Amino acid sequence: MSELLSGTAIRPWIERLLADGKRVAGPQRVHEDLVQYAWLTSADQLALDGFVRPSNSIKEVVFPRHEQLYGYQFKGKRIELLPAELPTKEQIVIGARPCDAAALPALDGVFNWDTQDEFYNRRRELTTVVTLACGAYDAHCFCTSVGLGPGDVRGSDALLIAVDDENYEVRCLTDKGRRLFAGVTTESSAVGRVMEGPPVQFDLDKLGAFLAGGYDNPAWQAAAMRCLGCAACAYTCPTCHCFDIVDEGGPSGGTRVRNWDACQFSMFTAHASGHNPRGNQGQRQRQRIYHKFQIYPEKFGALLCTGCGNCTRNCPAGLGVLPILKTIAPTP
Amino acid sequence: MQEELRQTCRRLLTDGTVQVVIGYGQAAADDRVVPVFITRPEDADQLVWNDRCFANLAKYLLRKEVAALGRAAICVKGCDQRALLVLEQESQIDRSQLTVIGLACDGVGEPRQAKCQSCDVHTPRQADITVGQASAGNPPATADGRYAEIEAFLKKTPAERMAYWKAELSRCVKCYACRQVCPMCYCRQCIVDKNRPVVISTSATLKGNFAWQITRAFHLAGRCVGCDECTRACPAGIDLRLLNLSLAKAAEENFSFRAGMDPAADPIIGAYSQQDHEEFIR
Amino acid sequence: MSDSNDFQPKIIAYVCNWCTYLGADLAGTNRLEYPASVRIVRLPCTGRIDFNLIVKAFETGADAVLVSGCHPGDCHYTAGNYHARRRWMLFRPLLEALEIDTRRIHFSWISAAEGKKWQQVITEIADKTRELGPYSDYREICQAESEK
Repeated sequence: MSELLSGTAIRPWIERLLADGKRVAGPQRVHEDLVQYAWLTSADQLALDGFVRPSNSIKEVVFPRHEQLYGYQFKGKRIELLPAELPTKEQIVIGARPCDAAALPALDGVFNWDTQDEFYNRRRELTTVVTLACGAYDAHCFCTSVGLGPGDVRGSDALLIAVDDENYEVRCLTDKGRRLFAGVTTESSAVGRVMEGPPVQFDLDKLGAFLAGGYDNPAWQAAAMRCLGCAACAYTCPTCHCFDIVDEGGPSGGTRVRNWDACQFSMFTAHASGHNPRGNQGQRQRQRIYHKFQIYPEKFGALLCTGCGNCTRNCPAGLGVLPILKTIAPTP
Repeated sequence: MQEELRQTCRRLLTDGTVQVVIGYGQAAADDRVVPVFITRPEDADQLVWNDRCFANLAKYLLRKEVAALGRAAICVKGCDQRALLVLEQESQIDRSQLTVIGLACDGVGEPRQAKCQSCDVHTPRQADITVGQASAGNPPATADGRYAEIEAFLKKTPAERMAYWKAELSRCVKCYACRQVCPMCYCRQCIVDKNRPVVISTSATLKGNFAWQITRAFHLAGRCVGCDECTRACPAGIDLRLLNLSLAKAAEENFSFRAGMDPAADPIIGAYSQQDHEEFIR
Repeated sequence: MSDSNDFQPKIIAYVCNWCTYLGADLAGTNRLEYPASVRIVRLPCTGRIDFNLIVKAFETGADAVLVSGCHPGDCHYTAGNYHARRRWMLFRPLLEALEIDTRRIHFSWISAAEGKKWQQVITEIADKTRELGPYSDYREICQAESEK
């Protein structure tokens, strides 16, 4: 016996969630050839098929691109701090890809290792992630090369698998998932089948061996020659999480905010002295690969890449993790 | 044409005219075309020419890592060549040290990109070597249709236009792909990175996004050549082309000026005339 | 001045030091009344006025902006106002494309002797802006949360 989410039940269910004051995010067709995760204002906006994956990631729901940390006001010689209001609304992501959900455990590690990030953790508590097993992959997908796949359950609270054009088998994976789908699904004997993922594109062991000794390899400079130094890869990546803290205000006070930042920007590691330890794009691209495939794994025991391919899809110069890794550590 | 291009590249490298040829190559993974930097004659076969050669390679002439490779030859389409001209006028490149390989182009993209619909530089001008022949030649330069998109846009009501930009710019994440891909954005420190004081909010809020896009567009007034790389690069699918078109239209209507077309024309933003009209000034 | 209408439009006037600022000063010494909700920002020359200042004015809550300087030919630095005029010719179409309300952005040449003109220009701008109402569009933009 399995649980079935019928195609006709989806829209009313989402409308109920919205009416209950919950925030719902999912893939939306922005233009003819652009699908992005966004907050829904109505169930009709949700797009569940006709594309490989959205061009951005779901990290925005737990790690927004702009977030207020606290306010400050100058009162004479005193400074009054005004704590930011932490969000209270429940958040549900519907139709995330497994490669998006698998990033969340990776972010959990970073946002809790030396300090408990109350902003991230609050949002994470409030979020339920419903993933949709992939129905297609393209040349940029490489989830299988990093130990994931089209039906992987890491980071997910419930997995939807299409059983036909309209209906989905629901596999609730956590209490959050079970609570969300209570009374929404019906019993059925239909079982969805998860497709085979893309062929493995590179060898992780070979990659590890290269990284262990390849820090000074000139291949990094050559690989990065066409990199333009924007943040299209980092900002659309499900696992990239660097941020910048800035004060925005005036003579009477302001807010301290956290914004996304990216290691590919030329000023990312610029020191006040004028020295820049990563002064050229080869060093910066190298850093990104090392962070994802050596530094983070050494510390947290998992890769910081889920093989979603957004970096390459969004890169104006066709770079991204996979092209670089295939040059360094192709499969035999 | 591709074979002619490869032979040209081989020749230029073998006889030492240049140390690097900046051109288009096939990405390994799929059918995307990416910038390549050929330094050895035997690698010339990496060069391709097809209707997916989108990138404006002029940007790479400003990269120190590329400059370090030595004297360069660069492959340009007609639109890209206009960028070279602006860079030369602004003293950012030394044209005499550069070998320009002009690629005759019938347009890129499937369907053709918007910029190609009104292109009048199918055959790049002022190239040292021209490869191929564009089927359309260079049609006479008329303003007909060139600004159709912005003209249609301006017919919308103010409320529609404001709603449109609010929706579009709400997706901007400040990745600066638009800035990084533009050959004309070459400031060592962009104004948006200035923080003593902060001039433009770096946050990806509507306020910060409006401020950034206004700044970016206006710093390109009279300099943007319409290569549309910014629009292509934007991961959020924002139609940045419209902003650039509004300024290009103002430049042509007021000063008969199009960036990168006439080597003898003075840039409009650094110049002025006693005849500049001022009916909007009280 | 007039308090028949509750809404006092906030006007920011970027003026050049040598002409318009002195013109405004002359209006003051001649006791010519003009709306008190104008904030005058003095710059050396209109040529120095970055278009970002206009955007900043709206960001900080202005309902209208005036940019004013010396008449063509009278610029203290010879050509600053010519450069400014050229810049404004191009800036306005960009603002129109973005639907930033160009009815709220005003330009004028006011000399040091034209105290009366200063009074007239500010009064007209205040009246016109009162009719348009507060610039709620830009305020909404500035207050919008990034989470859409």
